[in-house]
Amino acid sequence: MSDFINNYGFLIVSMIFGAILGLSVYLPLMAGQLSLATPGFYALGGYIAAILSTQVFKFTGNLFPVPFLLLEMLLAGLVSALGIPVLRLRGIYLAIATIAFVEILRVLALNLEITGGAVGIFAIPQPFQTQIEYLWIALPLLIISMFFLYRLERIRVGRALSAIREDELAADAMGINPTHYKVMSFTLGAILAGLVGAVSAHFLNTWNARQGTFDASIIYLAFVLIGGSRTFIGPVLGGIVLTALPEALRAMAGIGNLPTWLANFLRDGRLIIFGLLIVIGSVFYPQGIITPDLLKRLKPVKR
Amino acid sequence: MTDEPKVGKTIKPILEVRKMTRRFGGLVAVNKVSFTVQKNEIFGLIGPNGAGKTTLFNLITGLMPSSEGQLIYEGEEITKLRPYQIAAKGIARTFQNLRLFGNLSALENVAIAHHIHNKTGLIKGILGLPPAVAEEQKTFAQALELLELVGLAERSQEKACNFAYGDQRRLEIARALALKPKLLLLDEPAAGMNPNEKGALSELIRQIRDTFNLTVLLIEHHVPLVMGLCDRIAVLDFGQLIALGEPEAVKNDPAVIEAYLGDE
Repeated sequence: MSDFINNYGFLIVSMIFGAILGLSVYLPLMAGQLSLATPGFYALGGYIAAILSTQVFKFTGNLFPVPFLLLEMLLAGLVSALGIPVLRLRGIYLAIATIAFVEILRVLALNLEITGGAVGIFAIPQPFQTQIEYLWIALPLLIISMFFLYRLERIRVGRALSAIREDELAADAMGINPTHYKVMSFTLGAILAGLVGAVSAHFLNTWNARQGTFDASIIYLAFVLIGGSRTFIGPVLGGIVLTALPEALRAMAGIGNLPTWLANFLRDGRLIIFGLLIVIGSVFYPQGIITPDLLKRLKPVKR
Repeated sequence: MTDEPKVGKTIKPILEVRKMTRRFGGLVAVNKVSFTVQKNEIFGLIGPNGAGKTTLFNLITGLMPSSEGQLIYEGEEITKLRPYQIAAKGIARTFQNLRLFGNLSALENVAIAHHIHNKTGLIKGILGLPPAVAEEQKTFAQALELLELVGLAERSQEKACNFAYGDQRRLEIARALALKPKLLLLDEPAAGMNPNEKGALSELIRQIRDTFNLTVLLIEHHVPLVMGLCDRIAVLDFGQLIALGEPEAVKNDPAVIEAYLGDE
């Protein structure tokens, strides 16, 4: 058992982070906004934690104190909450602006001294002895986020978001301020991404411009598009399963008698496979695999 | 053509449209249209296709900015307000081409329009404190009542997109009523309905006006319905107001006969 934990501790924690990052993309999507900004706030959160823990916080003893970690997360969340007031942009234009945002941050990170330039920041202190212990932070964060979204989908504010997603003009005419709620859902998504970034800096031990790129935004989007875009359970399951997918593919590549090209494809063709899954998923499962109708069928006595 | 209220009624304007104009480049869709809607009237807006009726509705509800002119609602200028602000003032509308929240249930559609009357913000809502829960229950109870009013209560959990066309029209009316408006704008509410349904709709509109003590401004193509239902009628043609008055006067107005009447 402890062998399993040692080998897969990293993967398990990554899967939990994947779920939360899926939720970070899901939040703006609740209001019908396609935002690809999650990796940007993830990178930002990570840099805040990395810089603070390596250059600002002084600590004694072996392990980085968890309260400091929580403080870093708080700061990362606050900074992410400042967000970008780009929500006068609609649809595809917002998506493009968020792609640009991620790129700008990446280039800044590569060139600024404080972020360590191309090398990045390394030797980020560890608050835990083993990787699996990061669950102490990751799991509560996921559970709180899930509770938050479970409630959000059932209250007035959540309905306002759904209305905007269904028909923004009609929602406006029914008294809902679209910009206010679009900014709100965007900010909540940004905060989640920033929080995960802050912990991930410690989790991965180093942080550089390769954390939080456009590639990542496609992967997180896949969590939502494939997992389910109409209920919070979708991105959670999508994040967990699809984070484990590359590992599973690698394992499949190792099976006995596969032709070399297939084995190589399974091992390295991760992004192609994700892209294919998005395309196939959108055609056969437009609302993702986990849909509200599916949930209703699984729970016959609901509300 | 005079802008006086129906014979026997005192003047109590609720909406004043003053020289409303909307240009799309060289095309003047609405041309200096002026009229006043009195409280508790059922005011009809008719005219041939493309006369600018729906454009005028869009101007009144803020979905479109005007090129010129003013809108005075209950003595207050609302010309530059955004749609959600106009809704908050008490003006609700339905849409010519139906704009329901298709994937949501009928009950949710109506409950959503109750948004501005609730005060529960994000945090209080998430925490589910007693006042928030009470507000939710009240919202859904009132939404169900409105569905009962339009005869759709048994299907409250069904998705709005699955309703028949005529039922969707009535659902939109229920949704607009959830806003608790003082002025209700109906854009071709009878479109696609058979004669029986049209009759029932006419009754419903009168009932709504009386029960909720509101003013109704409606666009309609079906002339007999308009003649039978409205206290006063305005006629638009090519964006201009060509007649205004009580149904009998309008029906016999030569300008109207020339432009439009005889459609049905």
